Amino acid sequence: MSRDVPPNILRRALVRNRWRLVAGSLLVGLHQGCEALVPIAIGVIVDHAVATGSTGRLILWIAALAGLFLVLTAAYRTGARQIMRAIADEAHLLRLEVAAKVLDPRAEVRTGDVLTISATDADHTSYLLDYIPRITGALTATTVSAVGLCLISVRLGLVVLIGTPLVVLALRRAAPRITHRVAHRQEVAGRASSLATDLVTGLRPMRGIGGQDAAAARYRDVSRESLRVTMAAARTQGTFLAASTTVSTMLAGGIAILAGWSALTGHITVGQLVTVIGLAAFLADPFATLATAPGWIASVRASADRITRVLRSTPVAAAARGQAPLTPLDGECVGVVVTPDAAAFTELFEDGSPDVLVVPHHPDLFTGTIRENLLRGGPVEDALRASAADDVVAAHPDGLDHEISERGAALSGGQRQRLALARALLATPAMLVLQDPTTAVDAVTEHTIARGIRDLRHRPGSRLRTLLVTTSPALLAVTDRVVVLRGGIVVATGTHELLAATDPDYRAAVLR
Amino acid sequence: MTGAALPIASSARTCAWFLARLREHKLEVAGTAAAGLAAATSSVVPVTALGRLVDLVRAGAPPRALLPIAFLIAGAALLGGVAGGVTSVLVNRLAERILAALREQTVAVALRLPATVLDRAGRGDLLSRVGADVAAVGRAAADVLPTIISASLLAALSVTAMFGLDWRLGLAGLAALPLYLLALRWYLPRSAPIYAGERAAVASRSQLLMESLQGVRTVHAYRLERRHLDRIEEASERAREMSVGVFTLFTRFVGRINRAELASLATILVAGFWFVRAGWVSVGETAAAAVLIHRLFTPVSEILYIFDEIQEAGAGLARLVGVGTLPVAPVGTIVPVVPDLTLDGVSFGYESGVPVLGEVVLRVAPGERVALVGSTGAGKTTVASIAAGILRPVSGTAWVGGVPVDQLAPGVVAIVSQETHVFAGALIDDVRLARPSATESEVESALDTVGALDWVMRLPNGMETLVGEGGRPLTSAQAQQLALARLVLLDPQVAILDEATAEAGSAGARQLEESAMAATKGRTTLLVAHRLTQAATADRVVVLEHGRVVEEGTHDDLVTAGGRYAELWSAWQSRSRVASPLRTCGDVMS
Repeated sequence: MSRDVPPNILRRALVRNRWRLVAGSLLVGLHQGCEALVPIAIGVIVDHAVATGSTGRLILWIAALAGLFLVLTAAYRTGARQIMRAIADEAHLLRLEVAAKVLDPRAEVRTGDVLTISATDADHTSYLLDYIPRITGALTATTVSAVGLCLISVRLGLVVLIGTPLVVLALRRAAPRITHRVAHRQEVAGRASSLATDLVTGLRPMRGIGGQDAAAARYRDVSRESLRVTMAAARTQGTFLAASTTVSTMLAGGIAILAGWSALTGHITVGQLVTVIGLAAFLADPFATLATAPGWIASVRASADRITRVLRSTPVAAAARGQAPLTPLDGECVGVVVTPDAAAFTELFEDGSPDVLVVPHHPDLFTGTIRENLLRGGPVEDALRASAADDVVAAHPDGLDHEISERGAALSGGQRQRLALARALLATPAMLVLQDPTTAVDAVTEHTIARGIRDLRHRPGSRLRTLLVTTSPALLAVTDRVVVLRGGIVVATGTHELLAATDPDYRAAVLR
Repeated sequence: MTGAALPIASSARTCAWFLARLREHKLEVAGTAAAGLAAATSSVVPVTALGRLVDLVRAGAPPRALLPIAFLIAGAALLGGVAGGVTSVLVNRLAERILAALREQTVAVALRLPATVLDRAGRGDLLSRVGADVAAVGRAAADVLPTIISASLLAALSVTAMFGLDWRLGLAGLAALPLYLLALRWYLPRSAPIYAGERAAVASRSQLLMESLQGVRTVHAYRLERRHLDRIEEASERAREMSVGVFTLFTRFVGRINRAELASLATILVAGFWFVRAGWVSVGETAAAAVLIHRLFTPVSEILYIFDEIQEAGAGLARLVGVGTLPVAPVGTIVPVVPDLTLDGVSFGYESGVPVLGEVVLRVAPGERVALVGSTGAGKTTVASIAAGILRPVSGTAWVGGVPVDQLAPGVVAIVSQETHVFAGALIDDVRLARPSATESEVESALDTVGALDWVMRLPNGMETLVGEGGRPLTSAQAQQLALARLVLLDPQVAILDEATAEAGSAGARQLEESAMAATKGRTTLLVAHRLTQAATADRVVVLEHGRVVEEGTHDDLVTAGGRYAELWSAWQSRSRVASPLRTCGDVMS
């Protein structure tokens, strides 16, 4: 499973969104360039129109200003949409990957965590695609300004060119701490989410014994812990913000002061000073971006790590699987009485073969209509009758189109069990393995179902095979033979009638 | 999602809720605002200081005149940085504390809701609210306050400066303000429903994912992976299209803001042009006013974008606050003297209008054990749920000792159903859910009563062993024994067991029946049973068919009577194959 996971999902995010990213970055860059032209345009209009009093020039230049804004708006709109699309796509793909991984047979991940990872962490990771254009933009702006400064004074230009990387490098040292804090925050948030999932899933049993207050208190504890860790992460990020703001303001201010000194000592003119101050003010933004960037990247990395961990989670050892210990003959219906662990025995049949359907003892229904849950479009009446589920359908005015709520929770246990059985029968697998399929129904219905299974799957000439793992005499009575397994060893075999008549151990096991 | 979704609070209600929280945290709000103000002021200082620098250079001041300005900038940088950091911490603190309280309240309400409400609304929806929505609100909250303060301050400074130049220029500068407001008026009503839709799509995405995960064995058995992934993909795509859609709208909003910016800039330049001609203002003043207008662009758009974030956060907040608007029945306080259970003419039907119970009358004397039997779908679970106060009957009342069940103190009646759940965590904490204050030896003795102590002590860490999801897997029978141990620990006067021994399947069932007997000893007990061996040992048997009580009496009497119970009993003993079960549907309940 792990072969599909790229070594670095962040790099992959950049690669697979490269065109949108490049186009978006260029257009957003163009937008920023236009924004930088606006103050220059103001100067030009004041000089050429306002100062001259020429109406014709005023109209001309205002039209040019309008043109500039048109380009600016169009560039932003197109570019930003490209980037947004890339972010949304990436988050969507990551989510699907996480979902595919956790639905992958035998991969085991805690469900509460998965909710947080697929929602929040996928989003956070995708923000990389937002940060990259911002960082590139900031780098471009810094470089262009540095070159501009060099034209005025090489010394000033060098301060920017050398100072910026130094500042960014210094701030980067804080990154591992931030990554660690953010990862911890997400982990505890995941724990809170897991707990909420667990409590809500067990709502009925909990309510039955009035455990809701204790449960709420338990959630409150974890939520408080999550709050504490979130606050710790916020403090780290706040400290980082304080440092980065101070340093970037000082760098921009330092350049201006240095320019002021050059101007006062006569090295540069007043006009040049004004330009430098303008540039310094302009530089404050990209500086702030570059200074904050390590923090962004750190939090992106923390989330990406959590996703990678899910994608890399190795499947549970599948060693014991695929060695079916017992094979019915064609057309045979076999009963198996297993002690001590019927569930473990049943799982042995899950070999992934399309001919074999192993129905777990607690089969699940899903949100959707009854028909959707039966997974078959055609006639379903026979199977419904065989599983005594016809009255479940009849109990609802809209019949097969009745909407089952989440996991069929509004149905009774017996109704769920019978619908699940109908679904299994409708699948008509060459070999069907059922474990205790009638535990939630009454004795009369159990007989109906036993006959139903027999009649539907084992008409004369049928080659379908059925394995009933059960101790229900009603079910065992319709089998062709019964195999009794104790601790994995066959201790008896024969028809139900014969075993019931001759084997006291068997009688004790099945005749309640 | 089917049925009634969980409610979403109106914006007025959400707003009122939010203001009430701010009032609760008055001091913190004031402190946060003060820090924000300090940070914003410090960020304005270097701008003015540099203006002063140009004046100094123009005046030809000596180089040492730089020193005070350099110190001022350095001081402002330091103060601004620290204040900025503090603001960010304080804002997070305020927002996260309010949010933590909100999510705790949401979960607490959800845990007290009638189970049927959550069944219909879907648990994924709720979980999405306390997870993804909280995260989304927290993210927005961290941005909003600092930006509002600094942007408002910058905007106010620029506008004041503009009026300081000349009042006519000031007015011209404000002329384009209506355009900004129009942009806002255009955008907000259009984006609000998309944000709400986005949050809903995210919820349905989580719900599908959750449901698939919890039913993962069924998903694998029927190879439904593709089908479920497709549904998740569809929901995720819907959420994605919503986000992209709202952002597309946002870029159009930005376009409108740009238009307003152009208009304001053009207005000031054209107005300045005429004012200069009229001799009211100088060219320099016009230039300065235009530069000030330009400097307004960033703070004004930031303030406008804040509305966007507020709207987005509001969509999430409304979903959280909405859960809190659900009525939670008040906890009763009455402990009855005589714990007899009576159902008095109880009728019930689900929302589809199909009646489930009609006029059920049932009495369990103090300390008596009554078995409730009948075909599957006869309404036994509904009776048990009504007796336990989980469901409210359409008409009629369930009483314990003459007190309606919904007015009983917690812990008087308890129900253990066929639905088992092992709560994730240490095994001892799972049992303690019934009574958190229970000591270790009390838990031990509860486990002993139900016959679970032996296997529990054989676990690697005994009662401290982690069980439930992610922990050591337990068999159905073991899980149900834990449920019974919880019941023993709670020690209710009335115990209701709804098929509590059925799911164990086979061999375990008999042992569970013993556990159930031990757990309910001395209690008024209503026992829903398919396993008729349980009915046979009960004091009395009540037979329910199609929502009505059809027979009542001791096991022996009923077997002799040869009615429905006798039929069930003989089927149970496998002595006869019943040809025509009493399950004709539909007409009985009219």
